[in-house]
Amino acid sequence: MSKRSLAVLGLTLLSASGASAQSHLLYFELQGVAGYSTAEKKAIYHSLSADDIMQKTGIGFDYVLKLSGRSRDFGTLAIQARLAYDPAAARKLEFQIYNAYVKIKAGFADLWVGHNRPALGISYALDIHALLLPTLVMTGFGFDRDWGAGLSRDLSWGNAAFSLTTGSGMPLWIKGNYLAAARVAKGVLNRDNYEAGLSLAGGRILDIIGHRLVSEDPIGFQCVSGDLTYLWNNLEGRAEILVGRKDGRSALALFGKLGVNLLGEGRLKLEAQPLVMKTGEDWSSLLSGGVTYQADADFAFRAMVQRDSAFKDTRVVFQVYYYKAL
Amino acid sequence: MDIATSRKTIAFLTLLSLTAALYAAVGCDLNDPDRDVKRLFPESTGFKTRYVSIDRKGGEALLREIEKRLGEPFQGLYETADVPYTMYEITKGDVLIGYIHGVNQKGKYGGLQVFLALDTQGTIRSFYFQKLTSKAAKAFREPAFGKQFEGLSLEDFYAYDVVSGAEMPTGRVSRILNPAPEAESDFRAALRATKKNLVIVDEFLLGNRHLAHFKAKGERP
Repeated sequence: MSKRSLAVLGLTLLSASGASAQSHLLYFELQGVAGYSTAEKKAIYHSLSADDIMQKTGIGFDYVLKLSGRSRDFGTLAIQARLAYDPAAARKLEFQIYNAYVKIKAGFADLWVGHNRPALGISYALDIHALLLPTLVMTGFGFDRDWGAGLSRDLSWGNAAFSLTTGSGMPLWIKGNYLAAARVAKGVLNRDNYEAGLSLAGGRILDIIGHRLVSEDPIGFQCVSGDLTYLWNNLEGRAEILVGRKDGRSALALFGKLGVNLLGEGRLKLEAQPLVMKTGEDWSSLLSGGVTYQADADFAFRAMVQRDSAFKDTRVVFQVYYYKAL
Repeated sequence: MDIATSRKTIAFLTLLSLTAALYAAVGCDLNDPDRDVKRLFPESTGFKTRYVSIDRKGGEALLREIEKRLGEPFQGLYETADVPYTMYEITKGDVLIGYIHGVNQKGKYGGLQVFLALDTQGTIRSFYFQKLTSKAAKAFREPAFGKQFEGLSLEDFYAYDVVSGAEMPTGRVSRILNPAPEAESDFRAALRATKKNLVIVDEFLLGNRHLAHFKAKGERP
């Protein structure tokens, strides 16, 4: 995106925040990330790796606009982006787009076009864009956001979704790559305190870490995934199992997360998260523990300790996160 | 870490700490507006979403007014002046037939969300918990519990003291029965959330239609 386009977008968003009753929401986001890596034996400024898009010090915004006619909403425009900084990254200053889509109510389903979550696994329903602990999509099994189109329909018993995306993740690259994914879920988490999903996905995706291509040509990817989220009192459990093939090799990934919310309004959250992967004969794991303290409505402090078996690395990372409505 | 990088990091974290005095939060949206609106207003043909905040309409002075009408100061993560409230205006054709509005409320186990469907006069058509993780959730989600709120309005809830949990004089709110006596704090939270919800709707959607019925604590019989 050019500087001029960014300026126009920024001015539009700022001017849109002036009215008293409005059809849009605009949030400002600011975060600081720093930690230490035992493998690198030095301070780090990212939560996963310098190339990954996950948490880095940065500044961003989150904008949602309801598109309305005379008497009804007919769609939503969502843009969520940030400028991230990491002195160790190849691109020290990086523009990251998360949401960038238009969603239209088509009656039989909601249709979206742009950059959104593919209909695959637990990450379809869990927004990690501000969190330190990663899900499977950050370890090469799917994408947190992807370019393309999709549809979703909420049902009395849950939700069904389908997406056809480029399989390139954050950057839009077209080299014969694509990812088709479908997910059905039983339960509405906020209503039923559980959600169980079953996903199928297949295509030729780019082997990519953040904006860096690992291989030039797309690779084959097919999988079936089952996921479950369960809430009970102050406990939160999440799990996903994914089985399939990636780049001609068998693939297996297991994800679990157990969280407990403490203090009034769940201000303090403790989490433990094992993530185990096998591609071909290669096993690896990412074992994480995390703590989040919501200091007030806008300010959250997070910390994570993570053992990465592939890199024989133990990382301790701290994050100060600020999210404010404008 | 080299010195230049350390300075940059310290400067950045200092900037973050300087902004700590500002407040905001995320509002309370319907899980699936299309499905929920149709369930609560089967006759509807559409709805419009509006976002409002106390901060934007009247700032600190309005916050104090609303707290007075609620009977208790706002507190915690979900009760700040700049929380955006999501309000759904329900239409049939071009005619406005009601509203849906939800609020976050501190419960025993984290936050809970109470939604009200209201007619254009501010009378409750339906009450329901959207989010409630308490083990008593099943009892509170029984239709019989929500039904007890139907027909009530802010006029009824003004007499309910959210601090003591008593209604003076005893009226229709006192007749709402707690289906899970062991979860008294969640029951009280539900009543407080309902009153807060009604006060906010009255302020932002009904032009303070019910303000005439309000009596501050000292003025009540």
